[in-house]
Amino acid sequence: MNKTLKLISVITATVLFSGCVPAPQPQVGTTLGTSVTGSSNATSLEYGLRPSNYVSSIQSYFSTKLPRSNDAKYKFSQPKRAYKRKGLAYGGDVDWKGWLVEVSVATTSRSGRLLTPKPYMVLFTGNQIVAHILGNSHKLLVKVDK
Amino acid sequence: MANFNTHFTVAATASAMVSATLLSMEVVTPEQAVVAFFIGTLGGLLPDVDSAHSTSIKVGFNVLSLLLTIMMIFVKSSTYSIVEMFIMAALVFSAIRYGLLELFRKISKHRGMFHSVPVALIWGVVVAILMHFFFGLNSLISWVYGFMVTFGYLVHLTLDETYSVDLGNRRVKKSLGTALKFYRLKTNIDKIQTMIIYASLVGLLFVAPDTELIVNSIFSEEAWLNFKDVLLPFDGKWFIH
Repeated sequence: MNKTLKLISVITATVLFSGCVPAPQPQVGTTLGTSVTGSSNATSLEYGLRPSNYVSSIQSYFSTKLPRSNDAKYKFSQPKRAYKRKGLAYGGDVDWKGWLVEVSVATTSRSGRLLTPKPYMVLFTGNQIVAHILGNSHKLLVKVDK
Repeated sequence: MANFNTHFTVAATASAMVSATLLSMEVVTPEQAVVAFFIGTLGGLLPDVDSAHSTSIKVGFNVLSLLLTIMMIFVKSSTYSIVEMFIMAALVFSAIRYGLLELFRKISKHRGMFHSVPVALIWGVVVAILMHFFFGLNSLISWVYGFMVTFGYLVHLTLDETYSVDLGNRRVKKSLGTALKFYRLKTNIDKIQTMIIYASLVGLLFVAPDTELIVNSIFSEEAWLNFKDVLLPFDGKWFIH
């Protein structure tokens, strides 16, 4: 019984912990670049270059991540500056600063029924997508531009 | 009252069914479904941690102490030396596994308010908050894990109530109604406890992650249609797709 107990405890703790750890994200340093408006203030520069071809980047990115993505219907917002903190378990520091594109994606169910669009936030560093978050808000993410 | 093995088996079976359903409905990924299954099973053991010498309390505190020790190592690995990490890990593990466990055994009472529906809900909200703020998970997955804890917890309470009915002798045991309850108002302490529990639940909901995605994914008309889509072969062809 004791052995079973220990085994259950160790397996459960390991699975829970590994399952809670988000996929590693590339470390993002502060990159220089120009803002949309060409403003030279330091705050704008911190967020790097505004992504230029975000529509095709996002469609290509989701094509491998969503089921039945061929029939997906996208709606994009304009890129906005944002930053995100790490989870408190990892220190809570800012681990990403860049441009965020809100996109809603409507896919079909396996029976072919069109589903309600799901909101995503796609995080960019320059023209590179670094992560996406399901939903249009996250308590650890701050949108600088409203 | 059901024993540890029964609770474990029933909670694991029920959690497997729910996580597999969520996977089929494309609410979770396969990896998330595995975690959801484990969290649901753990939720099914949680109510008995108020029983001082139950197996659940040992499993619960083993898991908690291991989780927090691993988390501490993970967070401090870049700043602490290996020896410092060993010392800290030993301290954190012992403090939770032995210190906190003893304290908890002294203050808890079996079949008190720990065996109640509002506490099952509190656990779900707490897990959702932890997943969202501590691990940075999105609101949907945070709530799915929270939902699984509450689900496992409720399975445990329901099983306890089921065992209160002796079908062979056609009688009900004294324990009937002590598990699946919403409040307990026998003494003044019970009343205060009940008030604190409901106040905590309301307070926690204010800091909890956004619920829109979980409502759409599990508790909406569309979720019901999705469930019907995956319940039986939608094209009428069995095993040939």
